[in-house]
Amino acid sequence: MSERPPIPRPLPPPDRYTRTSPFWEAAKDHRLLIQYCTDTGRPQWFPRSVSLATGRRNLEWREASGRGRVYSWTVANRAWPGHESRVPYLVALVELDEGVRMLANLLNTDPGSVRIGMPVKVCWERLSEDIEYPAFEPA
Amino acid sequence: MGYAETPIELGSGRSSYDLAAEALEQILERTGIGKPAIDGVCFAETMSETSNPFWAIYLCEHLGLSPAWTQLNGLGGASTVGGVARAASAIRDGLCETVLVLSADAQSSWPPTEQGGQRFEFQYPVGLNGPVGVFGLLTRRYQHQYELQDEALAKLAVTQRAHALLNPNACRKLNKPLTVQQYLDSPYVSEPLRMLDSVMVCDGANALLVTSTDKARELGLEKMVHPIGYGEVTNFNGAEQLPDITESGFTLAGPRAFARAGLTPADIRMIHPYDDFLIAILLTLEHLGFCERGGGSKFILDTDLSYRGSLPLNTSGGQISAGQPGLAGGGVNAIEAVRQMFGEAGERQVDNPVNALVTGIGMIPYGRNWGVSNVLILEQP
Repeated sequence: MSERPPIPRPLPPPDRYTRTSPFWEAAKDHRLLIQYCTDTGRPQWFPRSVSLATGRRNLEWREASGRGRVYSWTVANRAWPGHESRVPYLVALVELDEGVRMLANLLNTDPGSVRIGMPVKVCWERLSEDIEYPAFEPA
Repeated sequence: MGYAETPIELGSGRSSYDLAAEALEQILERTGIGKPAIDGVCFAETMSETSNPFWAIYLCEHLGLSPAWTQLNGLGGASTVGGVARAASAIRDGLCETVLVLSADAQSSWPPTEQGGQRFEFQYPVGLNGPVGVFGLLTRRYQHQYELQDEALAKLAVTQRAHALLNPNACRKLNKPLTVQQYLDSPYVSEPLRMLDSVMVCDGANALLVTSTDKARELGLEKMVHPIGYGEVTNFNGAEQLPDITESGFTLAGPRAFARAGLTPADIRMIHPYDDFLIAILLTLEHLGFCERGGGSKFILDTDLSYRGSLPLNTSGGQISAGQPGLAGGGVNAIEAVRQMFGEAGERQVDNPVNALVTGIGMIPYGRNWGVSNVLILEQP
């Protein structure tokens, strides 16, 4: 059997399912934006086309602190396609201080050191010339 | 009512159409009804054919059915159980009389459908390994909040495997005994989730025939079961940003089903919970009230869950030991419940199968518990 060429790590296509380009533009400057409902002041993540609180499209982007805690985490012992060379890697649900949870890699740590509740801060991976992708590391 | 199930095969090379045809033929042979008596269809979406937005109509075309009522359920592994409830509603409304609730999928032979949405931007670049990754996160969080005993999960694995060995339709690749130690030694796929915590995706089809009691008698059908309680919720806690991911929609769907049935968990003779991962069974038992929250491990270790036991559980082996025929997987445990209640489960027959509780689980969302939870309670007439 001939080996298939490796699939590259998937790159995010901005504005594919809703308007996300403000997030990706800010990411280039290593600023982490999340959405807020302007009627209720409630934050939400991942980006939606409406406020989860009201169902209305009154939304704005605000910069988050980039600080939070590990809500849960797992070791990817098997890769999602495009991540084969990274195995084993850490995937976490990070609870930001603003009150949303973000699915992200944990970097600059190892499975023996990660704990639920551990403080983390955002860091950035350069995936391409246009994409800086958020991850988290011990704070 | 009647039921049908094809053998569950890994990489059969067959299509969902071909598998569906086998299930239809079985229904006709088992019940003796003619194909024209089927005037309603309720199909499940598939992983193998759903890129075709006309899948349900194509399947009618393939099978030569011209129903007065057609329903396509995109509830993932909850589609079969949800299909029975929807069929019953349609029959009560007089839209049709006799419904074929059919699920067929060939996910291990044909590439899965793309789910898209936010995944392209906020999931795939992270590399979360699909359902396995999500259940790794869920298991870790449960371990943090409650006590999770590996021996309890091992008991579920061993019990279901022993059942699968008595099920001729179970996937042949899984047809070997399993010990507690083999479960504990199973490699992690998304630590703390083990390979033997997980289903293996296969191909297969299954079907249930739903009609009114009067119509069943008119058709000369002696064997039947009655659906007496149903509850469902999609996107549980969907507007909350910080939900407890160890809490599922069964906390809502369960009480709805029990209230309609007028029963409590103590009244349930056997349970056939949807099992994509072993911990889903544990959570289901807790959230339906078979034991207290966090008490799942103890309940499992203290209860005889074998087909001879006080609460027989997934007596066909469940999906984890019989194989998961893609999105037809939601039918595996439902078919077994009906088969048991018809007294046709062979070596693994449960004594006095007066009732059964069946559940469905569908779809893996972003950073929360599973997407659909539904509960169906069946009773002898």
